[in-house]
Amino acid sequence: MKSLLLSILLCFGSIALYAQNNEIKGTVSDRDGNPLPGVSIVVKNTAKGVTTDFDGNFLLSGVQSGETLVFSYLGFMTKDVVVSNFNAMNVKLEEDTQSLEEVVVIGYGTQKVSKISGAVSTVNSKSVEILKPTRAEDALQGQASGVNVISSGSPGAKPTVLIRGIGSSSGNDPLVVIDGVTQTLDDLNSLNPSDIQSMSVLKDAALTAIYGVSGGSGVIVVKTKSGKRGGKTTFSFDSSYGVQEVTKTIDVLNASEYAGILNEASSNAGEGIVFDDISGLGVGTDWQDEILVNAPIITNNITASGGSETTSYFLSGGYLMQDGVVGGGDKSNFNRANITANFNTNITDDFVFIINTSYANIKAKTLSENNIGSVLSNALNFDPMVSPYDSNGDFGISNTITQEIKNPLALVDNTYNEGNTNKFFGKLELQYDIIENLKVSTRFGYTYTDVYSKNFTPLQYYGAGHNSTTANEDLSPIITIDAETGDETSTHNRVSESRTNYFNFTYEIFGNYNFQIQEDHNFDVVVGFSLAKSTGNSITANAEDIPFNSWDYADVSAATGDAASQTSGSWQYEKRNVSIFGRLNYDYKDKYLFSFTGRRDGSSSFGANNKFAFFPSASLGWIISKEDFYESSAVNFLKLRGSYGSVGNDNIDPQFATISTFPQYTFDGNIVSGSTLQSIPNDDVTWENQVQYNVGVDARFLDSKINFSAEYFNKTVDDLLFNPTLSLYLGAPEYPTTNIGSTESSGIEISAGYNDTFFDELNLSTSINFTTIENKVTAINNGDKYVDGAGYGIPYTVLTRFEEGFAPFYFYGYKTDGIFQNQSEIDSHATQDGALPGDIRYVDVNEDGVVDADDRTKIGDPYADFMIGYNLALNYKNFDFTAFVYASVGGDVYRAYERNLNYTNRFAGTLDRWTGEGTSYSEPRVTFVDSNNNTRVSDRYVEDGSYVRLKNIQLGYTLPENIYKSSGFSSIRFYGQVKNALTFTNYSGYDPEISSSVSDTGIDRGSYPQPRIWSMGVNVKF
Amino acid sequence: MKFFKQIIIVFTIFFIGQSCSDYVDYDPIENYEITADVYFQSETDFDAAVIGTYDPVQWLYLNILIGDIASDNSYCGGESASDYFGLQQMDLMIHNPTNDYTTEIWKWCYEGINRANYLEENKGKLDFDNKEALFGEVYFLRAYYYFELVKFFGDVPLFTESRLTAGDSGTLQRSPVSEVYAQIEADLIKAANVLPTIQSQKGRATKYAAQSLLGKVYLYQDKFTEAATAFENVIGKFTLVSNYGDQFLKSGENGSESIFEVQHTNTSNWYDWNYNPEGTEGNFGVIHHGPRNFVGPTYASGWSINVPLPALFNSFDEDDTRRDASILDIVAFAEETGATYAEGYKHTGYYNKKYISRAGESGAQTELNYLTNYRAIRYADVLLMAAEANNRGGVSDSKAQGYLNEVRRRAFGDTNHDVTVSGTALTTAIWEERNFELSMEGHRFFDLVRTGQASTFIEGFKTEKNELFPIPQQEIDISGLTQNPGY
Repeated sequence: MKSLLLSILLCFGSIALYAQNNEIKGTVSDRDGNPLPGVSIVVKNTAKGVTTDFDGNFLLSGVQSGETLVFSYLGFMTKDVVVSNFNAMNVKLEEDTQSLEEVVVIGYGTQKVSKISGAVSTVNSKSVEILKPTRAEDALQGQASGVNVISSGSPGAKPTVLIRGIGSSSGNDPLVVIDGVTQTLDDLNSLNPSDIQSMSVLKDAALTAIYGVSGGSGVIVVKTKSGKRGGKTTFSFDSSYGVQEVTKTIDVLNASEYAGILNEASSNAGEGIVFDDISGLGVGTDWQDEILVNAPIITNNITASGGSETTSYFLSGGYLMQDGVVGGGDKSNFNRANITANFNTNITDDFVFIINTSYANIKAKTLSENNIGSVLSNALNFDPMVSPYDSNGDFGISNTITQEIKNPLALVDNTYNEGNTNKFFGKLELQYDIIENLKVSTRFGYTYTDVYSKNFTPLQYYGAGHNSTTANEDLSPIITIDAETGDETSTHNRVSESRTNYFNFTYEIFGNYNFQIQEDHNFDVVVGFSLAKSTGNSITANAEDIPFNSWDYADVSAATGDAASQTSGSWQYEKRNVSIFGRLNYDYKDKYLFSFTGRRDGSSSFGANNKFAFFPSASLGWIISKEDFYESSAVNFLKLRGSYGSVGNDNIDPQFATISTFPQYTFDGNIVSGSTLQSIPNDDVTWENQVQYNVGVDARFLDSKINFSAEYFNKTVDDLLFNPTLSLYLGAPEYPTTNIGSTESSGIEISAGYNDTFFDELNLSTSINFTTIENKVTAINNGDKYVDGAGYGIPYTVLTRFEEGFAPFYFYGYKTDGIFQNQSEIDSHATQDGALPGDIRYVDVNEDGVVDADDRTKIGDPYADFMIGYNLALNYKNFDFTAFVYASVGGDVYRAYERNLNYTNRFAGTLDRWTGEGTSYSEPRVTFVDSNNNTRVSDRYVEDGSYVRLKNIQLGYTLPENIYKSSGFSSIRFYGQVKNALTFTNYSGYDPEISSSVSDTGIDRGSYPQPRIWSMGVNVKF
Repeated sequence: MKFFKQIIIVFTIFFIGQSCSDYVDYDPIENYEITADVYFQSETDFDAAVIGTYDPVQWLYLNILIGDIASDNSYCGGESASDYFGLQQMDLMIHNPTNDYTTEIWKWCYEGINRANYLEENKGKLDFDNKEALFGEVYFLRAYYYFELVKFFGDVPLFTESRLTAGDSGTLQRSPVSEVYAQIEADLIKAANVLPTIQSQKGRATKYAAQSLLGKVYLYQDKFTEAATAFENVIGKFTLVSNYGDQFLKSGENGSESIFEVQHTNTSNWYDWNYNPEGTEGNFGVIHHGPRNFVGPTYASGWSINVPLPALFNSFDEDDTRRDASILDIVAFAEETGATYAEGYKHTGYYNKKYISRAGESGAQTELNYLTNYRAIRYADVLLMAAEANNRGGVSDSKAQGYLNEVRRRAFGDTNHDVTVSGTALTTAIWEERNFELSMEGHRFFDLVRTGQASTFIEGFKTEKNELFPIPQQEIDISGLTQNPGY
């Protein structure tokens, strides 16, 4: 208000001064060409100055050549311009993302960054625009310290997002809050990243406790864009086209090598050779080349924003199309269309009404990935002697591989599915200014999701004896005649359709009150009430016998199978929370900061005896640089802060003793339904309780050109929710989730940035952030002291464990110690059943003289020790350049894509196998009878997954304004971008960044690599 | 006025907060869940729970495979030495406590016992006419599960009152095998007293099934006179199928020789490997026995597990019709029909014809849905057990000869092959006959152990160790049970 008055006064002032000599006029705009009203322009070392008008224009008189004009504006970096002539001056100001005056969105309010005493990282719209992620959370990787994002290359796939490590074994997804409405990480798939104004990652208890039982894994607060009141309507259009490519293939054996190795393996097992004549086999087929393709990615976004004196609006439409590099766009793609409308209007002077509405439509097709049946897994393990197609143009068939593994092209061809998601989300909010600085807000936030999916399993042919074959060669069903009864049975194709609805809402009412007592005591209070419900339900129908074995007819309604072949299923859930919350922020003279936050949560998930929980936190801050005694010109801002508090996690289902009607038996040849006890309740089950403390320091140097922030946190989680491993003699019901474990995590987060302008025209902005994290499971009181995580293979072998005394989900298996060169080495080693010369020597870890299951131990940890993100942005005249490098160091990867069955293809390392004493100390002999079980889970498959990746490099050029000024455009920019341009790693697989669930991370079963994307685009504003 | 407004708002928030505390109460009916509290209100509920108690007998297909693989009858086979590694180890007598297969047997038998006990726990909730007979089936099944456990593991935790709950985890120790046997006997005697001789539905346990199993349990304890008496109740109530091989066909299911059969059907249309074998009504054991990569008539391709040894094939008398009914000579069959197949690991040329995958007998996901019932107790088995009890118990060698020869006459179609010896020679003859009659049906290993012959016949068998399988390591870790000797 004051600044407005001032600007009006100064406007008059400038008129009064009009007509004096040496006048200079011009406009001030932001980087995108939007005019900035109210920018202060002062002649350096004088009292002379003006501010810009509504359209960003200014006029300043009495200026001497050689004087310096200082342009300053809230939220933008101050810019000095030396007056060299008196031509119209067009000045662009860069947004200052590091400004101390910047306001950060936190739970149920905002706070000035300088006054925050908790731990928060923010990513603003500019970063999102540069990175152009397909999913919003990808923009957090390497940009926000304390956040570990592990992405998959699969189009549209949800990444793993861990804020400050792994506290729990049951759900580590952070809470996502979009414009005040609580959502989930899954919901970020439908948010158009270009609608994002800012993302704040709330990391410590001081900031997350306001979300209580939902805040345990951190909170990502997203604010979407809105129009400016009284601003001109601006339009922007943004379009890009890119090509994705896989940059690395894995070295597998070619046809000649494969045949030779198989012959050797067979004779080593005392059997005859497999292939009589292997000359002339040539290199055969590298299946990776057959299924990896270059695929397009296209984005288009258009927005309009603006407002009148009482209303503002933001409208946007977006479209993203991404085809998969594995298998191609026909079978692997992700298409998203978004429409967003955000309105904000004053009904009366006191009442503001806000309505945000977003609609997203996602259509996707997926191919099996990162599992044993995935396309890549098949491509790596399939017979290289087979041609992709035979002479008739049918898919090539292997004579030797007749189980599970298939021609990957045929697998792609036989995969038919589609998903179609429609989603509406947004809020209705009414704000009432009761008195000055006391505002009551009531809002209803909602998410409605409708997911339709269809899956068709056609009759398929992989060779007559192949166990996945369900059709004759002409794809007709296989009719089998029971020799005894003459009964005929037939194979069938199948279709499955499902429709799932989710509806979540939160209703909240809260008041914000800011007041001062005696000038120096500043209070900011929030008190509120929240009611939330999330529901889901699904219906599935399956049917057989689709006409013509064709995807075109693949629908339950078209199926011709009899009633017995049609099955259906359904499920539903509902979860409710009710909460009251409050926060008091207090500071004395902007110098001593204090904050107290509390939330009392009730959850329908909890046991009858523990329905409610209270989560308090407090924090303190001290801005030393505001003290009178503080004298340092180099360090212009210095703050110490600390916080302590608790948050929770209610990732469980309500518990009751229920009867299952799943059991069946057969009497008289007919199926009869039975029952049994399905689950046992635990009425005492309660939230996971997390206690976290955080200490930090923030500093600014050299007029805030350099900013620095460092913090240390430690969090302990008690009462971890587990399905305990109970005595096996209890049978097989679901045992109740119980609070029986603890974890401890700690880490250091450092970030630093430097912004400066050189030679008037060269803007440099660079930042680095560094995150370490150490996780440890400190207790699991289930008897076993561990629970199994994920595994791989057939038969399924567990690889990761969540075990007391270890990092969560570490790799568990045998340690190897080279190769037995001769029998005497075997004899002198601990007893290792079945070992022969040329086999792997396993370490007798417990030194009991026998190599057995008890010798399994820690062989790796998939989670990185530290991560570094480095950003560089340069603007020179009309050129802009950005680069982003991300490094993840210390995480291990387990190579689980190697099947190593007798007839599957092998990997290049096999060529250096042991063939006699002294021939190899690392690669075992090949044999069809692997009596030593050389393929057991061992450190042989563990590799260092550290990597440094040039994630993004972009060069842009903004056309000079004079070219198009008259046509109404305010800015036209062209750019070229390369994502994932370079990756430096020692990992031998496609990509060391392997994302799936938290317990699954780092297991490479043929994971979808992140493609390199070459793209070009244009941004237009008018 | 403003102050008044603030008061209203503060109170509104306060009252909403109070009235909503029951908002977070949860009633399982919201998700259409049937709770244990409202169950066992009608006879139908009890019957359903009994059906649920039968269910796990279908899961015990491994017991059948192991009975021969661990013996001298068959190799584990499969694709390679690491295929079905746990079974390969049993084949070689190098199995250890981390064996997945013994863990599953342990878990599934105990699930059956807990389901039976859950009925026992709720027995008092309702009275109805058929209740005692229905509980006869429950006791039969509980005895069936405990007997399997005892055969594999010896001393095992014993409980009969109610389904265990989470609080019981780790509180039980192994009961001496004698106590478990006593409980099995008591259950079977109770069952035999209340079960009808004929059930309304094929597949339910009868009085004769209970008496046959009781006799078998006595025999396993060398209680020969009790065994002979128990079998006497059954003898004459069944007849041998005239053509030995017919009883293993689909048309032979629940035939005149069948005393207790584990029922399967191929109509459950099961596709889900994750709930296998718990979900399917098919017999998952069958696919294991199929010839590898087979293309041809009559049979269907399978996994070439549990392949009979040539020695077993060759042990049969040329005139014995049981040889070709029990074992498929795949080489001869392929020659005759032009069928093709692949040779798996330890290929012998022979397959288990009794439980082989037959063309057209499965459905949906073929591996999971074979309709073949498991003939758990056959009349021929009862005759041979009765012969053994009469002979070894010194009751009557002539009776023993009679029962033995009844079995042999069916096999050879004449009386020329009758056995006339007595005493220990007769004992040996009965034991040999058991394998001719019952090979590849899951009995051999346990017969050899029971009769003290295991170390003679089984290569690598270590006495004082391999008589029992190891208690699953997981159970030892969680529950602190003692391990069997030698492991």
